[in-house]
Amino acid sequence: MEATSHNKNMPAASGPAKSKPYLKTLIFGAISISAYVLLFNNEQLVTDTYTMGGWHWVFPVGTVFFFSFSHGAFASNLLSVLGLEAKKK
Amino acid sequence: MKKLLLICMFVLAILPVLTRSAIAAGGPPADILKGVITEVNAADRTVVFEKGATKERLTLALPAEMKPEEVRLHKKVLVNLDKHASAPNVIKDISIMFMDMTLSKLLALLAIGGIGGLLSGFIGSGGAFVMTPAMMSLGVPGAVAVASNMCHKFPKAMVGAYKRWKYGQADVKLGLVMAATAIIGVQIGITIQKYILKMFGGAGSNLYISAVFMFVLVFVGGYVFLDALKLAKGGGEAKVGKLALRMQKINIPPMIHFKTANVTISAWVTVPVGVLTGMLAATIAVGGFVGVPGMIYVVGVSAVVASATELIIAFVMGAWGSVQWGLSGLIDIRLSLLLLATSLIGVQLGALGTTYVKDYIIKVVMATTMLIVAVSRGVKVPGYLADLELIQPIAPSTIAVLESISFWSLLLALGSAGLIIVVAMIKGMSADRRSKSTVTGVQHG
Repeated sequence: MEATSHNKNMPAASGPAKSKPYLKTLIFGAISISAYVLLFNNEQLVTDTYTMGGWHWVFPVGTVFFFSFSHGAFASNLLSVLGLEAKKK
Repeated sequence: MKKLLLICMFVLAILPVLTRSAIAAGGPPADILKGVITEVNAADRTVVFEKGATKERLTLALPAEMKPEEVRLHKKVLVNLDKHASAPNVIKDISIMFMDMTLSKLLALLAIGGIGGLLSGFIGSGGAFVMTPAMMSLGVPGAVAVASNMCHKFPKAMVGAYKRWKYGQADVKLGLVMAATAIIGVQIGITIQKYILKMFGGAGSNLYISAVFMFVLVFVGGYVFLDALKLAKGGGEAKVGKLALRMQKINIPPMIHFKTANVTISAWVTVPVGVLTGMLAATIAVGGFVGVPGMIYVVGVSAVVASATELIIAFVMGAWGSVQWGLSGLIDIRLSLLLLATSLIGVQLGALGTTYVKDYIIKVVMATTMLIVAVSRGVKVPGYLADLELIQPIAPSTIAVLESISFWSLLLALGSAGLIIVVAMIKGMSADRRSKSTVTGVQHG
């Protein structure tokens, strides 16, 4: 299995460079920045609602889950665009 | 697979029961009132306080040193009551729950988040030891700082764990076993702390925490450092330690096989390591500093797999911790999200960095961080000793200097760890590029 993936990756090193995920970076970046702007523009409402305690814990926990997917995907694609990828064994 | 499902079900079943107050660094404080001050009566030095959840109105007395005009009305605050006052409902201190965000504070949070994320992705834990005091120095109340850090830690750990699982480094089964047992350890840790607090008071408790902190960080950090030094001299190829080999020979059922870690070991060995990790998490808030070395030197896992697996533990414990803090309504989501903005980039960079470095570099970063963090706590010990009247009182100016050394050494720990990671990554990446271009040259030639 490892040998196969190794062989698969070999031509990539010598052949033409793999296309970089510019579009994905832009889409996830736009989603992420819009979410940040939306949240910080409604700072008062957000901080008040999120700290009401009890079942309201779903707001902060749900929000960080959302950001970890959208902003996490943006960060992952951004690193690929910058050429920072894990070493292929 | 069946075993894995059973472990997952065990973890899910045990978590709600055990985590009622179980979170790394202890549960949300019960003696803090959260709400809004609606009136100040300067004449009789009292305020009318409206509790956030129940809208119940209380009349609280101001302490002697607090001026009525200093009290801010209609802002969400945390009020700490003085338990030792002669009358009931006397305020000890009032802190504004949501600090005003300025550009410099925003940039500070982004910078700390990024480097903390890098460290976390690389060594599996880290950042929490500096983020909480850093937020407090920006004016965030302690409880809110711990809660907001916890809420940023678990999604960061989740993303880091996913990345390192994709690289074939994280052992999910080991992570879940460790997390489940660590939660039991948290309960024991909290019980011990409560007992010490009851017996010896606040200063005694601080001294106990510092003593544990110093012992673990100096002893374990020193051991990891010497091991890393030996490996660096010997070409960097890590072998399973003697203690771990002995532990792996213990054949008391149930024996568990961890596939990614490539270890078969008795549960009687992994359980104490997990419990100790939890106990330490409850005592000094950085369980990873014993969890990762424990997995390396006692279970016999490589540093790469141990640091990746620690991210799974951090995710499970951080997620439940966040639910607890969320129930108390103490998470300032702005802080969590600002830290996440850069830490989600940092954690993925740190994770991919581990694929370019030798195993011992992870040990070097971990040991450096632990030893510098030990200094930050060590300089606080004289103050606690003076509080307990074990030594002569110390001048307030000296205390202030020691506090500032403590804070800056935390930043130094974060900075130096970040620097080692970046340098090691750049070296690893350029070596990889050189070897690839050599291969390409040979193929073309």
